[in-house]
Amino acid sequence: MIPAYYEFSNHAKVLSGENAVENIAYELKVLEAAHPIVVTNRQLRDLGLVDIVLRALADGGIDVCAIYDAVPVDSSVDVVNDLAKTFRKTGCDAIIAVGGGSVLDTAKGANIVLTTGSTDIKEFMGSEVITARAMVPFIAVPTTAGTGSEVTGAAVIKDTERHVKMGFVSYLLLPDVAVLDPRMTEGLPPRLTASTGLDALTHAVEAFSCRQANPLSDGYARAAIDLIREYLVKTLEDGQDRTARLAMANAAMLAGVSFSNAMVGIVHAIGHACGGQCSVAHGDAMGILLPYGMEYNMDVAGERYGELLLHLKGAEVYASTPAAERPRVAVEAVRELLGDAARRAGMPMRLSQVGVTEADLPAIAATAINDGAMSLNPKDADISDILGILRAAL
Amino acid sequence: MKTDVRLSPGPAKRTKRMLAGVVFAVMGRGLVACARLDGRVRVEAGSWPEGTAITLAISPGSPRVTVRKQNGRIHTLGSRTDVPSTLLVTFKGVDSALPVLLGMKGILEAFAEHRATVKGDLGIAMSLVRCLHIVEGYLYPDIMTRRILPRPAVREAGHLRAYAGLLGTAANLGEKGAGL
Repeated sequence: MIPAYYEFSNHAKVLSGENAVENIAYELKVLEAAHPIVVTNRQLRDLGLVDIVLRALADGGIDVCAIYDAVPVDSSVDVVNDLAKTFRKTGCDAIIAVGGGSVLDTAKGANIVLTTGSTDIKEFMGSEVITARAMVPFIAVPTTAGTGSEVTGAAVIKDTERHVKMGFVSYLLLPDVAVLDPRMTEGLPPRLTASTGLDALTHAVEAFSCRQANPLSDGYARAAIDLIREYLVKTLEDGQDRTARLAMANAAMLAGVSFSNAMVGIVHAIGHACGGQCSVAHGDAMGILLPYGMEYNMDVAGERYGELLLHLKGAEVYASTPAAERPRVAVEAVRELLGDAARRAGMPMRLSQVGVTEADLPAIAATAINDGAMSLNPKDADISDILGILRAAL
Repeated sequence: MKTDVRLSPGPAKRTKRMLAGVVFAVMGRGLVACARLDGRVRVEAGSWPEGTAITLAISPGSPRVTVRKQNGRIHTLGSRTDVPSTLLVTFKGVDSALPVLLGMKGILEAFAEHRATVKGDLGIAMSLVRCLHIVEGYLYPDIMTRRILPRPAVREAGHLRAYAGLLGTAANLGEKGAGL
């Protein structure tokens, strides 16, 4: 399949492997920066993960200018603007974000404010509206293997006044360097490992089947799913398996590149709404909703799902499955993976297990219909379609 | 050696821009007319905050059209540039815009192809897209809508009533809007 027109960009340099963090000091020199601010949260400091980065920077002769560890679970406009103010006040010249999606998105938001000379991130809400010659040097060190935010041109930031999550999309948001070091994820508990891993799987599956999919994003999605098939369960069996941890970090990164360029669809739209309305953890929502989203899209995207069977189950299963059966078996494969995650890590398999009730569904559907991800889903959906998916997954 | 080479748009480009301007004006009036005729557009526009100003434009420069919700009604402000836009949808060039404006390419396909940028609340942008799909359902025949709309067009009023509403809106341009 070749789209009539597509765009693709991934200019983040990836450092992947044991002790990759030790090379951040060198990368800062390449970026002509010497006084970074480290953006993170208190929990990650308490876990000692930030110390790994700080020690590496000290060993590399870099003086950290400031540590901003006040990023909450949900990135917000106030925090983004406050971080930008701290950066300016302390005279920093680069951003190192150490954390999960919220920390990385906060750093991206602050980078917009800093680069444009603004004081309020809200001015730049939207898609492809940011213009700049060069952003503030930005290095992302993910501590989960799921969001892929270290290689995406998107950030989601909460407007605390209006209680809505705002989307910011621009290729300029991509970090300069993404650092995948297995030390940063080996302490993740199994439940979070499963949840974030299924988030990565959802990125890859949705990116592969969305309206904006293209040959380049397809390649990344396929590679991501291959790694998830081989390593997700291994990380659940042995969290200290650094090879498996590194592989899952790579899977999340690859899926991130894919969806940054192809975008995501109805599973993310509904998942975001479940998060906003009922505080369902993003990865949990993804794992629960993915098979139902695939079933909804089946008549339009079935052929694409059939192609994914090769990556979800491997060559032998793919070859022995008749072509007409492959889409259905691909959905079964996703359910099997979710079942594995449920058995080994206690992943929920239904929305009712994460606190969603029948009474919540209309509000979730009304929010989901206005989520930007809905526009690129391969199949159109109205409120009743979304309610159908929600009821099936309840 | 000549270092500053500036070319003016050729006649073909100027014609395309003129055509885009006409279609923008029709779309703006179509939105106002549909807010009167079609309950689905009324519901969508009813959810927009008071004062919401939505602009469809082509970069660089003109043409453009703005519709604004004021006193609970949708008005078209034509190609006025003095109204700050709450939501600004900008096609990257006239060649990006025309296939969409002439009903040859779907709006969602256009976004997938990065033909336009969106400045503002993406939630309102989603609502606008649904409204534009309904407007396209009235403006274009089924042979075209089958190709560009994500599902078959459903019309709460006939084409003729819609065109009459559109002309009525044109007659009252900027003065009367569609009540919600």
